[in-house]
Amino acid sequence: MKKKLVSGLLVMAMTGSLLAGCGNGGSDGGSSAASSDSGSTEAASDDGAAAETEAASDDGAAETGSKDGSYDLTLYTINSTDEDFPDWLANVEGATGLKINVIAAPTDSDTRQQKITTILSTGDASVDILEINDEMSASFKNSGWLEGLNDTVMTEDIRGEFPQGYVADMITDKNGQIIGVPGYSGYLAFWVNQQILDEVGITSLDTKEDFMKYLETASGDGRYGYGGSWEKTYVFNEIAQFVNMFGGDYLDWTNPANREAMEFIHEMVEKGYTPIDQIADKYEQMNPKFNDGKYGSLFMWGLGTDYDKAGMLGADKIHMAMVPQLSDQKYIFTDSWSYVLNTASQNKDAAIKFLQYMASEEGMKASYEAFDRYPARKDVAAKVVPDTDPAKEMYSRYANECVVKGRPMLPQTMEFISAMGTIFQSYVKDEITLDEFCAKAQEYVETYNN
Amino acid sequence: MINKKSLQWIAWVLILPVLLLRGFTTIYPIFKTVVNSFYDIRILSGVHEFAGISNYLNIFKDQKVLTTLEFTGIFVVVSMLFHVVLGVALALILNMKFRGRRFLRTIVLIPWAMPAVVIGMAGKWAFNNDYGLINDLIRRFVPSFELSWLIDTSTARAAVIALDLWKDLPFFAILVLSGLQFISSDIYEAAKVDGANGIKSFLYITLPLITRNVLTLCIPFTLWRLTGFDLVYSMTSGGPGEDTSLIAYRITMEAFTNLNVGYAAALAVLLFLVMAVFSWFNMRFMSRFED
Repeated sequence: MKKKLVSGLLVMAMTGSLLAGCGNGGSDGGSSAASSDSGSTEAASDDGAAAETEAASDDGAAETGSKDGSYDLTLYTINSTDEDFPDWLANVEGATGLKINVIAAPTDSDTRQQKITTILSTGDASVDILEINDEMSASFKNSGWLEGLNDTVMTEDIRGEFPQGYVADMITDKNGQIIGVPGYSGYLAFWVNQQILDEVGITSLDTKEDFMKYLETASGDGRYGYGGSWEKTYVFNEIAQFVNMFGGDYLDWTNPANREAMEFIHEMVEKGYTPIDQIADKYEQMNPKFNDGKYGSLFMWGLGTDYDKAGMLGADKIHMAMVPQLSDQKYIFTDSWSYVLNTASQNKDAAIKFLQYMASEEGMKASYEAFDRYPARKDVAAKVVPDTDPAKEMYSRYANECVVKGRPMLPQTMEFISAMGTIFQSYVKDEITLDEFCAKAQEYVETYNN
Repeated sequence: MINKKSLQWIAWVLILPVLLLRGFTTIYPIFKTVVNSFYDIRILSGVHEFAGISNYLNIFKDQKVLTTLEFTGIFVVVSMLFHVVLGVALALILNMKFRGRRFLRTIVLIPWAMPAVVIGMAGKWAFNNDYGLINDLIRRFVPSFELSWLIDTSTARAAVIALDLWKDLPFFAILVLSGLQFISSDIYEAAKVDGANGIKSFLYITLPLITRNVLTLCIPFTLWRLTGFDLVYSMTSGGPGEDTSLIAYRITMEAFTNLNVGYAAALAVLLFLVMAVFSWFNMRFMSRFED
C-alpha cells in the first residue's frame, strides 16, 4: 500500500512538473514569440557573432515580441559589433522614444541569410525589424513576408530622394509596394593603390588601354595588378561588374559582351595579372593582401574601413578611383542594406515609428556618424556629408559620370550566385571552356528565374 | 499477493512523459522529414506539391550532389583509415612510460575540445598560401614552396581531411588507450619470456585484444564523419566548386539557404538510410567477429 502511494505521488509529481513546464503554452502570442526568439538567439551564437551581442541575452530575448514585455520592438542588425553601436542605439531610442531589443545577425553571409530566411519564412514574430541586403531583397520581396511601406514610411514626399533605379530594381515588390528603407547608399567602388601607380608611373586609369597597362606593369614578383575575392559566393559581384563594364547583360549569356568580359578575366589569370589563389578568398583574405601591397587595384564595397584600420587609406595610399571605361560607357553597381518590417510582427506601430526615423534626415545622419554609412537620400547626403569626406566627391562623380545599376539578382538568389560561382571557378581553372561556361550560365539563369 | 503484471501500468505512466517528449522531438521530425521528401517544397517560389519519388530520382541527376557524395565517401573512408592507423599508433605512444606522459596525454586532447567551427575558420587561414602557418612551416625547410591548398580539388580535400584528423584523432587515440590499459602487463612479460619481440607482441597480443575496442569506436566515429558539417562550412564553404561539400553540408544548404525543403528532406532520408545500413553491417560484423 505504501509503495502504491509513493508511486502515485511520483506520477503526480512528474506530470505536474511537466505541465508546469508547459504552463504558459496556451497564452497569447508573446509566449510563442519567446520560444522562437530564444531559438534564434541561440542560433545566432553559432558563428560567434552573438558573442558580442549585449542585448540578445537569453532572458532579454524571451521578452521580445511581447507587447507587454519591456521592449517596444526587436531589431535584427548587422551593426551591433560596431564600436559606435551603443551611441547609435541611444540616439534612436532617444529620438523615437522606443525601447529596442537588439539581436546580432551572424557575420558570415551564408549563416546570416539562413537565420533571416528561417525567421521570415516561419512567421516568427519575435523579430520586428531586420536589416537585409540585396540578395535577400531579391529573394524575399515577392514572398509576402515583408510589409509594404508606401503609405507609412516610404511616402511620396521622400521617395524621390532615394536612388530611383535601386528602389525600383531591388526593393519594390510585384504590387509596386516598397518593402524596405535603404540604410545607406553604397557603390562597388574601384580602389587603387597609389603607391603602386606612382611606382609604375601611371597617372590615369580611364580607358581599357590604361587599365591593361597598369595590370601589366604592376604585376610581377608576387604582386598583381588586380585582385579580388573569388570564393564561389563572393565572386558574383566581380563577374557581374566586368560583364557590366563590357556593356553586357548578366542575365543573358548569349550576349557577346558577356563572353568578352569572361575572356578578359581569363586572360588576367593567364597572364599573371590576377592570382588564381583568390578562388579561396573572401573579403577578409582579400583586404589584408590589398593592404600589404599585393594587389594594385580591386572592386570593393564600403568606404574603406579595413584600409583605414591598417593605416592604408589616403590619397597617397589606397583610395577610390573612377571606374575604367571598358566599353561605350562607365558602369557601376550600387547596393544597400535595407531595414524591413516583418509581416508577422506584433509591434507594427513601434516598427513603423522606427522606420520613419531611419528614413528621416536625423536617422540617416545618425547612421552616417556612427557607421560611416553614406546617406541613401541625396538631399540628406548633400547636407550631412562634409565636403572634406573623400567619399563625397567620388560618390558624386560615380552618380554623375557612370551608369548606375542595381545588381542583377534572381528570386533563387543564393542558389544562383553559388552555381555561377562554381562554374566560374571551373572556367578560370580551365576545367571547362568558355562555351561551356556560357551555356551553363544561361541554363542557370533560366532555372533560377522561376 | 500482488500480480506484478497488473502494476505495469505504473511503469508506463512513469515513462510516459519521456515517451511523449521523445516522440515530439524525435519521432515526429523524422516522420515529417520522410513525408516532406515526397513533396516538391520550394519556399522562395511558393511551390508545395506532391512529387512522388522525383526528389529521390533528382539526387542521382544532380551533379552537385554526386560530387558531394563522392567527397563524403572519400572523406569517411580516408579519415577513418587514418583514425585507425594513426589513432592506434598515438595510443601506443601515449601508453609508453616516459617523462611528461601525463602532460602529453592532456595537451593532445586540446584540438578535440575546440569547436569545429572555430577550427574550420582557423584552418581557412592556416592553409592560406600567403598568411598560413602550414606553408610558413614548410618554407622553413623548402623556402621556395608555394601552394594554395584550398583552390585545387585534391589539395583542398586533403586539407579538410587533415584538419578533421588534427581535431578528432587525439580523442580516438585516448579511447584506444583506455582499451590498451586493460591489457595486463603479465601477458607481455610471459611473451617476452617466450622470446617474442616488440612487433610480435603487438601483432599477437595488443592487436587482437584491442580490435574489438577499435571496431566499436569506428561506429560512432564513422557516423560523425557522415554527418560532419561544421568543418567544411567554416573552412571551405564546400569549395572549390562543390568539391569539398559533405552530404550534411549540402542538406543544410538546400534546406536553409536555397529553401528547397522537399529536396533537402530526400537527401536527409538518404543519409539516414546509409547510416542505418552501415550500423547494421557493423553490428553484424561485430557479432561474427565475437563468434
